[in-house]
Amino acid sequence: MKRRVVLVDDHDLFLAGVRAELGEAVDVVGQAGSIAEAVPLITELDPEVVLLDVHLPDGSGDAIVNAVKADRPGVKFLALSVSDAAEDVIAVIRAGARGYVTKTISGPELAAAIERVATGDAVFSPRLAGFVLDAFRAGEQVGGDAELDELTPREREVLQLIARGYMYKEIASRLHLSVKTVESHVSNVLRKLQLSTRHELARWATQHRLV
Amino acid sequence: MLRTFAPSTDERVIAGVCAGIARTLGVDPTLVRLVFALLALAGGAGILLYLALWAWATKRNRVWVAAVLAFLAGVALLGALGLSDQAVIGIALIAGGLALAWRQGGSFRADAPLSYGGIALAAIGAVVLLSGEGTSTSLLAPGAVAGALLLIAGPWVWRLALERDAERTGRIRTEERSEVAARVHDSVLQTLALVQRHADDPRRVASLARRQERELRGWLYGDQPLGDETASLLAALSAAAGDVEELHGVRVELASAGDCPVDTSVGALVLAAREAMTNAAKFAGVEELDVYAEVTDDAVSVFVRDRGAGFDRTAVPDDRQGLRESIEGRLERAGGRATIVTSPGNGTEVELRLPRRPS
Repeated sequence: MKRRVVLVDDHDLFLAGVRAELGEAVDVVGQAGSIAEAVPLITELDPEVVLLDVHLPDGSGDAIVNAVKADRPGVKFLALSVSDAAEDVIAVIRAGARGYVTKTISGPELAAAIERVATGDAVFSPRLAGFVLDAFRAGEQVGGDAELDELTPREREVLQLIARGYMYKEIASRLHLSVKTVESHVSNVLRKLQLSTRHELARWATQHRLV
Repeated sequence: MLRTFAPSTDERVIAGVCAGIARTLGVDPTLVRLVFALLALAGGAGILLYLALWAWATKRNRVWVAAVLAFLAGVALLGALGLSDQAVIGIALIAGGLALAWRQGGSFRADAPLSYGGIALAAIGAVVLLSGEGTSTSLLAPGAVAGALLLIAGPWVWRLALERDAERTGRIRTEERSEVAARVHDSVLQTLALVQRHADDPRRVASLARRQERELRGWLYGDQPLGDETASLLAALSAAAGDVEELHGVRVELASAGDCPVDTSVGALVLAAREAMTNAAKFAGVEELDVYAEVTDDAVSVFVRDRGAGFDRTAVPDDRQGLRESIEGRLERAGGRATIVTSPGNGTEVELRLPRRPS
């Protein structure tokens, strides 16, 4: 069965491009160009996956995630952006998005990422993996749960390989793990990223909201 | 600067002058009324001042009435403070003279005859004041002279400062605009010209567009200053990646954790990374490379990876400059180490690692 997807992006040209690239791989049920449009649309359509631009004309993507997640907890978000600003991306992930890919991603890769997010897995592009490693290293720990505030050496290793451009399958064979284990490491990192009270992550998130 | 006030009709006790002042200054009206009451005790100065303000505020053409009343209020106040008559006359003359000199639109005009008259009057006042006897006068005199000088020179200095500020703001704005123009010209316009020239070569157009996008993005989001490739490791790597994309039509996916300034050895690392990217673009036969830079406290590492053809290290002749000299040799001289992992059919990964000296 094809995944029901909503696209949220204010660039019409890009939306048309994504629709064409995805082709028959998914079922695009709706699209929106702003936060104001997207929130009621997503609530009404209840899609499986929302492809979300990090920057929208009336704010940033994390506002949509925050507004929708109470009513529609089943909707999965995948952030899609040209933005290189780490704090913007981290803010959307912390709001609840299941992953982040750059807009230069190819059609088949994007379809695979949508599928992975729809089944509850996380999607880390190399760039996001780099941001996350950076965020967990910088800044001091302030109270909270130590387990959530540190990455295990294995998680660090997995993220580093993702950043170096390895696919899950390649990581699994290199570290002598199963692909499932690699996936669970990545999901764990995502959970820590969203729940950690770590100083640097909190600062990034609040900074973003203040802007 | 204070706004001009209007008497308050809804909070008034007499004519609303106190309430009006209170509102303009943002203080309690009772406080203002108290001050006026105290001044009224000082030889009726408060009452005169109240009338003056009322006259001035209700009808602008009564300004002379107001000035005279205010003048009288001042005289009454000084008298009440126990100054000698001579001192009071002196101060009154100075105040009146300055008022005359300043009459023209609130600024001192050296070309108006009335201004000279006013200054002369003020000078006479100063002489009267200084020639007066008594302790209070000797204390007051230097202050009065300083005050008079300040009143004459103050607005002129003030206006000068304002003009200089405005000029500086304008200059900064112009500089910013010309900097933006220069950057747009150096990058965007050049790229558009190249795109037009290579319109029949989609690969080249795509790589031009991508390079331009990377550059603008870096500039807009502050990751790297546009055109300044020496500022940081990321900026330098990003520029190198852009060059490789443009020259060889591949896509370079650049990820990073941390950044550091570029010194001689980091510069060598960047050159080695660039060589590794070029090799991958030329020989691997792939469309995309992954580059990851990691800066930790004790090392700078750059990984250049492709999923291409790979090669057999033993089959590469020793005289091939690329690997031996430009990558391994260069990094060793900088105090680092290059590791190349490859085999036919399994792609290639070049790891460049440079220990950081504790700074």
